[in-house]
Amino acid sequence: MNLAVPVKRQLWAILGFAVAVLVVAALLRSDYFELVLTQVLLWAMLSLAWNILCGYSGYFSFGHAVFWGLGAYTVALGLIHFDLPPWLTIPLGGIIGGLAGALIGFPTFRLRGHYFALAMLAYPLATLYVFQWLGYQEIPLPMKRAAPALYMQFDNPRVYVGLALVLLLATLLISLRIENSRFGMSLFAIKQNEPAAEAAGINTWRWKMLALMLSGTLAAVAGGLYAVVLLVVTPEAVFGMLVSAQALILALFGGVGSLWGPVIGAAVLVPLAEGLNAKLGSVLPGIQGVVYGIAIIAIILCAPEGVYWRLRDRLAKRTPPPAAAPAAVPAAVTPTVREAARPSDRDLLVLRDIGISFGGLRALDGVSLTVSEGGLYGIIGPNGAGKTTLFNVINGFLTPQRGSITFAGDSLLGLRPNQVCRHGIGRTFQVVRAFPRMTVLDNVTVGAFVGAADDTAARRMAAVALDRVGLSARARVLAGGLTNRELRLMELARALAPQPRLILLDETLAGLGHDDLDGILGAIRQVRADGVTVLIIEHTMHAMVQLVDHFDVLDHGRLIASGAPHAVVRDPNVIEAYLGKKWAQQVSEAAK
Amino acid sequence: MTKTLTRRSVTRGLALAAGTLALPTIGRAQAKTVKIAMIAPMSGPWARQGQLLKMGADLAIEDINARGGIKSLGGATMEIIYADAGDSTEKAKNAAQRLVSEQPDLVGGTGSWLSSFTLAVTEVTERAQIPWLTLSYSDAITGRGFKFVFQTSPTAPWQAAQTVPTALELAKAATGKTPTTVGLIMDNTAAPVSFAKGLREGGFEKAGLKLVVDQIFTPPLSDATPLIEKVRSAKPGFLLLLTSAMPDCKLVLEKLDEFKMAHGKIPLVGNGAPFGSPELLKTIGPELLEGMLFSVANWPMKGQEEFIERFKKKTGEPFLTQDALCGYGHPAILAEALEAAGAADKIKVAEAIRAMNLTSGPAAQCFPGPIKFDEAGRRMNVPMIFAQWQKGVPVTVFPTDLALAKPFWPSV
Repeated sequence: MNLAVPVKRQLWAILGFAVAVLVVAALLRSDYFELVLTQVLLWAMLSLAWNILCGYSGYFSFGHAVFWGLGAYTVALGLIHFDLPPWLTIPLGGIIGGLAGALIGFPTFRLRGHYFALAMLAYPLATLYVFQWLGYQEIPLPMKRAAPALYMQFDNPRVYVGLALVLLLATLLISLRIENSRFGMSLFAIKQNEPAAEAAGINTWRWKMLALMLSGTLAAVAGGLYAVVLLVVTPEAVFGMLVSAQALILALFGGVGSLWGPVIGAAVLVPLAEGLNAKLGSVLPGIQGVVYGIAIIAIILCAPEGVYWRLRDRLAKRTPPPAAAPAAVPAAVTPTVREAARPSDRDLLVLRDIGISFGGLRALDGVSLTVSEGGLYGIIGPNGAGKTTLFNVINGFLTPQRGSITFAGDSLLGLRPNQVCRHGIGRTFQVVRAFPRMTVLDNVTVGAFVGAADDTAARRMAAVALDRVGLSARARVLAGGLTNRELRLMELARALAPQPRLILLDETLAGLGHDDLDGILGAIRQVRADGVTVLIIEHTMHAMVQLVDHFDVLDHGRLIASGAPHAVVRDPNVIEAYLGKKWAQQVSEAAK
Repeated sequence: MTKTLTRRSVTRGLALAAGTLALPTIGRAQAKTVKIAMIAPMSGPWARQGQLLKMGADLAIEDINARGGIKSLGGATMEIIYADAGDSTEKAKNAAQRLVSEQPDLVGGTGSWLSSFTLAVTEVTERAQIPWLTLSYSDAITGRGFKFVFQTSPTAPWQAAQTVPTALELAKAATGKTPTTVGLIMDNTAAPVSFAKGLREGGFEKAGLKLVVDQIFTPPLSDATPLIEKVRSAKPGFLLLLTSAMPDCKLVLEKLDEFKMAHGKIPLVGNGAPFGSPELLKTIGPELLEGMLFSVANWPMKGQEEFIERFKKKTGEPFLTQDALCGYGHPAILAEALEAAGAADKIKVAEAIRAMNLTSGPAAQCFPGPIKFDEAGRRMNVPMIFAQWQKGVPVTVFPTDLALAKPFWPSV
């Protein structure tokens, strides 16, 4: 999230950009340069639309030409078949682009990473053939001499610059709004760790779909105006590989995931390519492509993350960041105080006969478990006993093949992780799943969205959660710079932020030194004291014996013992399966 | 013996240099020049066609100026400005806009080979009122009500309608019999699809032909066996071959050979200049091509023998083709129009083209039929040209008065 640059400054930057474009347009003395300027703005808009999905959520698309082309063909066919003016068909193309986004996202979001990117490649290629088959090989937009303004056919090329600028500004403002809202933060969380985002209560499916639909809408609108400017629509020109590549290259060059990256990319590369065509195309045909390629390679080598991020890092180095002020924690909100500090009689989570196997491996085999509200439960067992699988079953990453799970009376079976989270179950992970390029506060805010009515409330709840785990002083630091202990605490805060009734802690103490351990144990006790039921997986027996008031022991997917800590650690089954003879000796010596 | 560099010697040198630089400028200022433009794909997948167009245009400019330039303009020399249309409609349009902006004194132009490029380019040139000549086939180019676009090739639908009856005529003239069956093998790209549309919708029937093989494939073709098996069992009177990619064409011809149906057993008829390209000869070889017929908008004809030899010598090309011929013919038409207009004025040049009716002279020699345009900018009374591969050269065989060789119907 680009929160380092405040919204107000960005708004000024956008205004400055608009003025600069207008000044350039007024100064240019040639229709040709106005045409190139229009193209710069349109390609910037496509790339920015691409950035909304791909830059923010990390789902790369090699096929944005499909939206661009649909927008262009809506304008062209609308004009030819129904005599509709582009003033109408450009927005209509946007709607079609959005619907296409929904249609494409539905099957394609089942895929991730490279597979998603490659699947997206298929859509424009397929559409290209469909439009060829339909007989729309070359569609010239008819010249309307009677009512040129109605059909967006202006003699003055500056009008097109103006139109493209308005659309680009709208896209910039939409992007800015996204960056600074729940929408953008959710996408950003998805980009960095989708399972963590899902477990933190983010409906990843919904946000991804929204991003693709919005991205498709904006790309189609840009494609519509492109058709008006070019006046000829062919499947190759609007659905071709070059269009999809252009969206990608401009953003990669300028800086993926930033507001200005695609604009910088378009402002540099589009005129560069055109200039090379103009100067070299008729002298040494083909050389322009070579020079263009070399220029891109050179700049990517110097600024691998894109020009924008490179410049920003440079500037950030020159002006040292303001001394990190401790985050102001709004005192107005106090966590809901729950009176229960010890296990009550009410059963909060009930698992009955849970079974799940992976191929021939029975990961969980008839596990039944009851967790009373307010308790602190420890799950122990050797490696591969099924502890993490149990957590994954509870929070919805896995669906058990048999058995039932109820939480406060409601069945959790078949719910997605974000829905489980909404029911009031938070979790942390064995390996910390942070969003490293977000601040600590943002990391926790992502978790708070589930329980918050609006973004401000989420921020407040996040601040409270950070305070509860004692991490307020580090709120403004990027999560990538935290120590292991702080990361564990941050993850705990993220799970606590939406004020869950139950949290699942997966080896929260793993890899921590003695001093660090005490801090975390204290935090966990505090959480329990606040009335949150805790279920913890842990290997560090000494710590566990002190911490929990109930042990459940898993071995080979079966529950082999259950009860008070001191009774369980003497159980011969448990000693044989997990604790070992050394432990038995220690226990017997301690008994003497 | 070292000469020291003094300030005076430097000044003198500079003055001399300036003088020599200035001289030709003064000379040029006295003899007027008129500027025309050519926008053609000189890079990208169609670069070869652009090169051929340029070869023709270079020769044309050379000839026009060698003949003494434009006489009605006091012997003004003609200058041609080239721009690369590249590989996309956007680049083609940008090239046109650039020329129009940077060269306000253009009196005419030609280009841009691919129909979609021509469509985009002429959107710009029409608004700038520059008379524009093109060899592109698409009927959309002259179907927009434009006033400054002139299409020297007959349109694609017209060519499609003419090709089959003319092929039948050739068969009858050579064998005394008219084929009654036809086979069709085509890919599903733009040009073949639009070409075959009219034929399927009654065109074959009207010509008295029964379509006995009808095979459409999506390029690239991986194996032609199933297509050729159909041909073997149906044995059509001739085979209409509409492929747009060289490798597919090669596969079909080789498979025909393998099935013992090549070398004229089943006569082949194609459409378009690519069927007569030197590249096809290089990949397929003269034996397999021998006898293959194709219809085309323009091809070297009787009366051009001297020019064909000169072109071959100058460029090293094995033979002259449609592209180079039109590349030569379009500047020639513009020169004639300038001559008639008597002014280096684009509007007057356009008027002169509209009024033109040329049947002789260098421009008329480059095209079959008179150079006379109708309201839309299409040529009138144009015959359909047929060329045939004979001993490794595609030569014009029809119409008879323009033919450089006699046609033979391969199956005889």
